[in-house]
Amino acid sequence: MKLLTHNMLTSHVKGITKGYPLLIKATEVKVSEVEFNPEFVSRMIPKLEWAALVQAAEGLGHLNDLPVELVPDFEKNEDFLRRVHRVLLEVEVVEGCLRCPESGREFPISRGIPNMLLNEDEV
Amino acid sequence: MKRRNPFRFRKHTARHNLLLRETRVEDLMAEHPPVRESGGLSVPLRYYCTAGKGMEQFLAEEVHLKLSASDVHYVSGKVFFTTSADIQKVVGLKSAERLFLLLKREAPLSDTWSAGQAARVVQERIIGEHQAWSSALQWWQNLRQALGEVEADQNTIRRGQKRKWFEGEGPLPLAPPPGVLEGERHLAGAPASEEGEVTSTQKPVVTFRVCCRCSGTVARKLGSQDLGRLIGTAISRQLRWKVELREPKVEVNVHLTDDHCVIGMPILRLPLAQRCYIRTTGLRSTVAWAMASLADIKPGSLVLDPMCGVGTVLLEAGKEYQGSFFLGMDIDPSQLEKASENIRFAELSNSIELLQSSVTAIPSPSCSVEAVVCDVPFGRKFSSRVEAAALLPAAVKEMGRVLRPGGTLVLLLSPQLSILLDSILSPSPTADCLGNQPGGDPRPLPSLQLSATYRVGLGATDGLIHKYRKMPQCDTRT
Repeated sequence: MKLLTHNMLTSHVKGITKGYPLLIKATEVKVSEVEFNPEFVSRMIPKLEWAALVQAAEGLGHLNDLPVELVPDFEKNEDFLRRVHRVLLEVEVVEGCLRCPESGREFPISRGIPNMLLNEDEV
Repeated sequence: MKRRNPFRFRKHTARHNLLLRETRVEDLMAEHPPVRESGGLSVPLRYYCTAGKGMEQFLAEEVHLKLSASDVHYVSGKVFFTTSADIQKVVGLKSAERLFLLLKREAPLSDTWSAGQAARVVQERIIGEHQAWSSALQWWQNLRQALGEVEADQNTIRRGQKRKWFEGEGPLPLAPPPGVLEGERHLAGAPASEEGEVTSTQKPVVTFRVCCRCSGTVARKLGSQDLGRLIGTAISRQLRWKVELREPKVEVNVHLTDDHCVIGMPILRLPLAQRCYIRTTGLRSTVAWAMASLADIKPGSLVLDPMCGVGTVLLEAGKEYQGSFFLGMDIDPSQLEKASENIRFAELSNSIELLQSSVTAIPSPSCSVEAVVCDVPFGRKFSSRVEAAALLPAAVKEMGRVLRPGGTLVLLLSPQLSILLDSILSPSPTADCLGNQPGGDPRPLPSLQLSATYRVGLGATDGLIHKYRKMPQCDTRT
């Protein structure tokens, strides 16, 4: 699971009001090289929940000097885009789990694939 | 952006065909010798592709957009076009089944002849001028030469798969099915020996076989096999080509219907629809590609397939739209495992991610993706048809929820589910009782506006592709 995917995930346990962002508890993280596409990263940044990305990256120890606040004019800042690229696409959680911030329900991640299935009584 | 205008390409009827004067290969040859310029051909060539049911309009648009093709016409099951694009680009078409170099396309054979006169009719109407055949053959050889590498690639992949099969899954069957046997032999032996033939002798013997299909009036007079034999005899007598049924150099494809008489030579042995990058196929690759092409995917789009199965739609979309990000979900871990392997094999791990989830509870915030594409299981895959139908309202509600306003939803549905969905989404009193079943999500369905439907063939059954746009005044991000 890449952090871009994590940014698009929310807990959907019945009755909760704040299921986002999910806390990552990782037991295995890998960083693999992905070809840098500045245009892609620039287009993706406005769609992100920036704070959630920073929190996730920091939790995994891969903050990569990302600022707490999104910098202005990031489209022209190649160094910044490269750092976001790394966090978004290169850092991957292979094993671990995602924890709902409100209910505490944990969703296991196995071989990079999170299992977000709920039981009947949780829907 | 892309707009699909059904009237852009003229659909030809039999009457049109009578009036139609095709640009023939020999006319081109007279003006331009077959010299290949770097990267492309110096002159436009006339091709046709076969297409699955309902795929003709997608293919017509694809050749227009990707190959800047002119003279695009389609009839049921075939699309004719002219292009000077590099053959490598032509074989990259995604919505076609097989690709042929067009030798001739004429008005249908008249019905004023008897079976006894068939040999004469074949000679006059199908074989005709010697020149047309020898120039077509020369072009065909040029194209084949330009494709040398492609065919070699396909070759290695097929061999690789076979080896995998051999090692992985028990004993190798003693006799593969006849179709496979033929294909394998072609691939394994033919290209190399062909090259040898061409270079070693000055005037190589052209070996060929005829593949003839007839329907309508012609078929009532003579069977396809008999006609094929007559055509084969005429070719070998007039052109001195040699019949070789098992491993011919060229295949001559003849299709005679009440609408037209089409003769062509297949450029590749394998169908274009057989993707070298897909290991386990789910949905037909051409239909999956068509669904992706309707989803308005742009660079930087976030695209979700909430019931991705082995990931065929995601793979087709991921190959076509690089620079977008795709999320695939499925409830079944064994499907996800195959999807994961497919993604790795297609080298798309950087742009496609998977997670296990139910379509009725998508774990994504509302209004978070630009497009949702989904091949909705037809009920056969579930324990009962009722289940798929019961699932549909909740599933569509969820898909609509996660779409951004203005986003696109593309669904592939069975005819039954298509009717059901129309009734769910139409503003009528029945919508409430179907859309909000007991125990279902009480929230109203998002306002999805139907922008088009397409009927496509899926082997034994038909499917309907529905395309919706989410209206801007909908629910906000939660």
